[in-house]
Amino acid sequence: MLFLHAAEQGLIYGLMALGVYLSFRVLAFPDLSVDGTFPLGAAVAGILILRGANPAVAMLAGGGAGLVAGAFTGVLATRLRIPGLLAGVLTMIMLYSLNLRIMGRPNLSLLGKPSALLTLARTLGIPRTYETLVAAAILCLATGILLLLFLHTELGGAMRAVGQNPQLVRTLGTNPDHLLVLGLALSNALVGFSGALAAQYSGFADVGMGVGTIIAGLASVIVGEILMRPRSLLLAVVAAVVGSVVYRLAISIALRYGAALGFTASDLRLLTALVVLGALAAPAFRAALKGENL
Amino acid sequence: MILEVLKVTKTFALGAERVTALQDLELALAEGDFVTVIGSNGAGKTTLLNVIAGTCRPDRGQIKLAGRDVTHWPAHRRAHLIGRVFQDPLQGTAAQMTVAENLALAAKKGRRGLAPLLTARRRKALEEIVASLEMGLERRLSEKVAHLSGGERQALTVLMAVFTHPKLLLLDEHTAALDPANAEKVLTITEKLVAEHCLTTLMVTHRMDQALAVGNRLIMMHKGRVVLDLEGREKQQLRVEDLVGLFRKVGIADDGLLLASDVDKGNGMMAEKAKKLAHLL
Repeated sequence: MLFLHAAEQGLIYGLMALGVYLSFRVLAFPDLSVDGTFPLGAAVAGILILRGANPAVAMLAGGGAGLVAGAFTGVLATRLRIPGLLAGVLTMIMLYSLNLRIMGRPNLSLLGKPSALLTLARTLGIPRTYETLVAAAILCLATGILLLLFLHTELGGAMRAVGQNPQLVRTLGTNPDHLLVLGLALSNALVGFSGALAAQYSGFADVGMGVGTIIAGLASVIVGEILMRPRSLLLAVVAAVVGSVVYRLAISIALRYGAALGFTASDLRLLTALVVLGALAAPAFRAALKGENL
Repeated sequence: MILEVLKVTKTFALGAERVTALQDLELALAEGDFVTVIGSNGAGKTTLLNVIAGTCRPDRGQIKLAGRDVTHWPAHRRAHLIGRVFQDPLQGTAAQMTVAENLALAAKKGRRGLAPLLTARRRKALEEIVASLEMGLERRLSEKVAHLSGGERQALTVLMAVFTHPKLLLLDEHTAALDPANAEKVLTITEKLVAEHCLTTLMVTHRMDQALAVGNRLIMMHKGRVVLDLEGREKQQLRVEDLVGLFRKVGIADDGLLLASDVDKGNGMMAEKAKKLAHLL
């Protein structure tokens, strides 16, 4: 059961990891707005479901809200020339208030409401134990394929070039700012969609559920890269989802057995940040071990 | 005229001071002109290219490209008319994308739809185009550009800048960061491609021998103006020594040493001569 739950969570949060992969790796833009767009997706989907909307439509609306918020961050970073990290933080803070407004209160219970994942699973006739797992896997697979196809289009190719060399994109006749706005919009659409799914999965939408989303997303992307050492886009996309599953599994294990070592659930974010820190610092450590100067 | 720069002035703030990079500069390039640009550091050569490409707005003046007033066009819009190669080979390509993908991005200049970037047919066409470099890159289409040498990368960049037939090609000391053998090779490729595609070209260079050997016209810039403009036979008869003398004549007296070090970057033998001359001056 531990593994099953971790895998389910890993796949649901895997969509978020794909979004973070798009902003952090493809666009080379560390986008903190995801801490706001994840609960935004949950809030929008939650309120729509409580008002009787079709859960699938509610999920898409959650993604749509993320899309708009991501574009907003992009406009702050390009048109208004606000440094990227700050642009993300501003969006995140604004969304905290906005999410409270959308929900009307800090917490929405969705228990007993129809779920998009379960509806999908039952339509396909998947055995009860695995219905969430399989439905989430199908969504992840479909999203991953769409993302990969997109990255191989003219538009997606230009977007990849923006992350590596924005000057080149300008020289080749496209405004890199437009691509950055579009890329952040798509990235946050995935994150909002993931937040909407997470709300349905856990049975509630909470205004605080987004705290640490960016760290979890980065941890997933980085853990995936360490495990798979992807050399192609295909593998990089797969690695983000694999990383997300491994990350959730590691957390489940830490929560289950960490108590014996004196850890509590409140130490989780510290541990996660240390994992990300270690992975990001690895090249410097490796260089130091080889005797090069830091 | 393909390019007309009309009374363009550009100043920059440098601390409390204002530095004039371009001063009422006038320049016109006829179709097919291959103009080399020399001048000491701070003469305004790179600013001139930036103002033409649109990455820097002039304070005053007008830029016309192929008959159109592009003064207020953003850089990415002008890029449809302009090919540009920078000094740093890293600047002209996307390192983590393949040779074919880089070429395809250039081939699809400005058109960014949802069609595949690479199709089997386009790949085949690009293979033929890249084969014209005669560097064996046609067999390395699927390799990441990061794996290419500086010379290969810069040759690829030149190809990406020219094979879409831009109205104007801007070369900004594009061989300066390469070792002498590769610099020679990239320059040969540039000359060949410019001739094949009949491109109007503006090439900034630090090397006076290069400025003399290449192109049909040479201009010298000083303090934001064109102080010398030689064409055809006049340019052919010019030698490095004459250029050094001309530098002196336009009043760049302090530049004797600078001149020597400039030449030094390019060509050892020439540096000897220039140093001797610098002492005489």
